[in-house]
Amino acid sequence: MNYIIIGASAAGISAIESIRTVDKNGKITIISDENYSIYSRCVLSYYLAGIVSEDKLKYREDDFYKKYNVNAILGKKVVSVLPDKKIKLSDGSEIPFDKLLIATGSRSKMENITGIEKEGVFGLRNIDDAKRIDLRLIKTKSAVMLGGGLIGLRAAYALHKRAVNVTVVVKSKHVLSQMMDEEGASFVQKRMQEQGINILTGLAAKEIIGDKEVKSVILENGNKIDCEIVVIGKGVQPNIELVKNTNIKTDWGIVVNEFLQTTVPDIYSAGDVAQSSDLITGESTINALWPNAIAQGKVAGLNMAGKNVKYSGSIGMNSVEFFDLPTISYGITKPKGEGFEILIKKNSVKNIYKKIILKNNKLVGFVLVSDVNQSGVYGSLIEKKIDVSSIKNNLLDNNFNFAKILPLISENRKNFTEPEYDEILITNK
Amino acid sequence: MKKVYCEVSKCVGCKSCEIACAVEHSKSKTLFIAISEEPMPVHRRNVQSINKLIISDACHHCQEAPCVSACMSGAMYKDKDGSTQHDEEKCVGCWMCIMACPFGTISRRKKLAIKCDLCKDNVKGPMCVISCPTKALSLKDVQRGEL
Ligand SMILES: Cc1cc2nc3c(=O)[nH]c(=O)nc-3n(C[C@H](O)[C@H](O)[C@H](O)COP(=O)(O)OP(=O)(O)OC[C@H]3O[C@@H](n4cnc5c(N)ncnc54)[C@H](O)[C@@H]3O)c2cc1C
Ligand code: SF4
Ligand code: SF4
Repeated sequence: MNYIIIGASAAGISAIESIRTVDKNGKITIISDENYSIYSRCVLSYYLAGIVSEDKLKYREDDFYKKYNVNAILGKKVVSVLPDKKIKLSDGSEIPFDKLLIATGSRSKMENITGIEKEGVFGLRNIDDAKRIDLRLIKTKSAVMLGGGLIGLRAAYALHKRAVNVTVVVKSKHVLSQMMDEEGASFVQKRMQEQGINILTGLAAKEIIGDKEVKSVILENGNKIDCEIVVIGKGVQPNIELVKNTNIKTDWGIVVNEFLQTTVPDIYSAGDVAQSSDLITGESTINALWPNAIAQGKVAGLNMAGKNVKYSGSIGMNSVEFFDLPTISYGITKPKGEGFEILIKKNSVKNIYKKIILKNNKLVGFVLVSDVNQSGVYGSLIEKKIDVSSIKNNLLDNNFNFAKILPLISENRKNFTEPEYDEILITNK
Repeated sequence: MKKVYCEVSKCVGCKSCEIACAVEHSKSKTLFIAISEEPMPVHRRNVQSINKLIISDACHHCQEAPCVSACMSGAMYKDKDGSTQHDEEKCVGCWMCIMACPFGTISRRKKLAIKCDLCKDNVKGPMCVISCPTKALSLKDVQRGEL
């Protein structure tokens, strides 16, 4: 078997690992336009903050490709997928495949705003972005983040740690509006403001001004913020250009079925570029997140190697900690429409906030601030779609933990199929 | 692979295992000094209960470990022996693993994720097992099918 994988990040590397559990000898080629070791882009903001060194960005050993017997073509771009089971590289060469995985991920969405081409305006997606921002810090006093999502805030936190005056400009009413409800997000916003990060909500930038280099950002309301760096955190755009003019169906991303197959036989897609179904809502969407990319890479790899594994769906979830305030949000956090039940517990003094969203007595989402340690237990109830009527009144208890769901596990054995649950029940007669 | 099992009918909830675990993972490895260490040593085993049922729970060293899939820095990994281990050097404290662990067995100490490591650095083996006065805890071979 001759496998080709495009993109050497979360989804692509995970696919290699899973293909090799089934097919020890097949030929695997991986192609990436980034000429680096296997690194985690999620750690880039920690690198920018000076918390970890460049070496710590690597999440797999340097001999990974050798160990997995993979031919790695780095620093070259795949320009198109050709109809007769071949791909074409930027240098004009063509490579044939039996099975193809498109794991090209996504890139920072660059806004259509005047002045965006100026020196000092960055996205934060690749190691090169982080290095360029880092280089510019010597001449930077102030920076403006456009966007109050995960990337905007992570970048803000990092630059604040590097003693830069940071202003975050957020179009929505509050930060983290994609992943969190207003009240939960207010804890994060308040903490960041208290620590000296300036956050402006309900406002957009009108123009980035300066000669060659950025000098300031003009806001909709006419205010001007002087800065040497602008970071755009306006979400991501899937890298689908290479499948233009093919029969591979695209929508927002590359559309895949539950086996992560595209609409063309033997071509699979996984990760930030793949549009699959959401485990909770059933909608066809992209939850562009690391754990989803890993899980999809794994399932796609197994199927490419001849197994028949279904992907259960991606989940919108996130965990962030700024200035010692951890928060985790998961699933539906801002329910719209009928039939939802919301449980809330809060203590503003202790910065504790817990919100659980149920539908038909099943958990569909939660937001936790400060007290996050049991979030995975809630997560498993969501993933396994368990009726929690019998423990509903205890879900928000301070001492809620795994033991509290033991009766539910006994009642729903068919949903808890992992061997670890058997191991608990063996001793639980 | 071996892991620590808890025989629920024998667990009386005395928390000896929690203390033994915290001490084993302290700098001094002695109870009296450990309690004043900064940061405070954290136990990786938790005695929990529901109704009359008491269980001492910790990392199950899952076959397909959700914490490993979720860990975005490569700090959480499957060791050759099948156990799930954590590289403190790599951990950035993002709590993706906490979000993913269905057993809620990972805790936080400052910016580090903390979980059961089966006392891999101690030849005597898991100290919780040794400390358990009722023998509710035991280190046993895990029988799991192929993936
Ligand atoms: C700063 C930052 C922080 C983040 N924090 C979190 C977090 O806390 N939690 C979380 O869950 N997620 C986080 N994410 C998102 C996470 O990084 C992504 O979901 C994940 O990397 C997706 O993996 P992927 O393999 O699908 O694609 P990517 O990681 O985007 O990798 C795709 C690779 O393919 C290459 N490529 C693209 N097109 C081509 C082509 N035509 N030819 C050759 N190569 C190509 C790209 O250069 C890239 O190297 C963060 C992302 C960033 C940037
Ligand atoms: S930490 Fe949790 S998810 Fe990870 S191996 Fe242990 S029990 Fe499984
Ligand atoms: S907290 Fe540490 S171990 Fe957990 S996911 Fe983050 S980096 Fe990995």
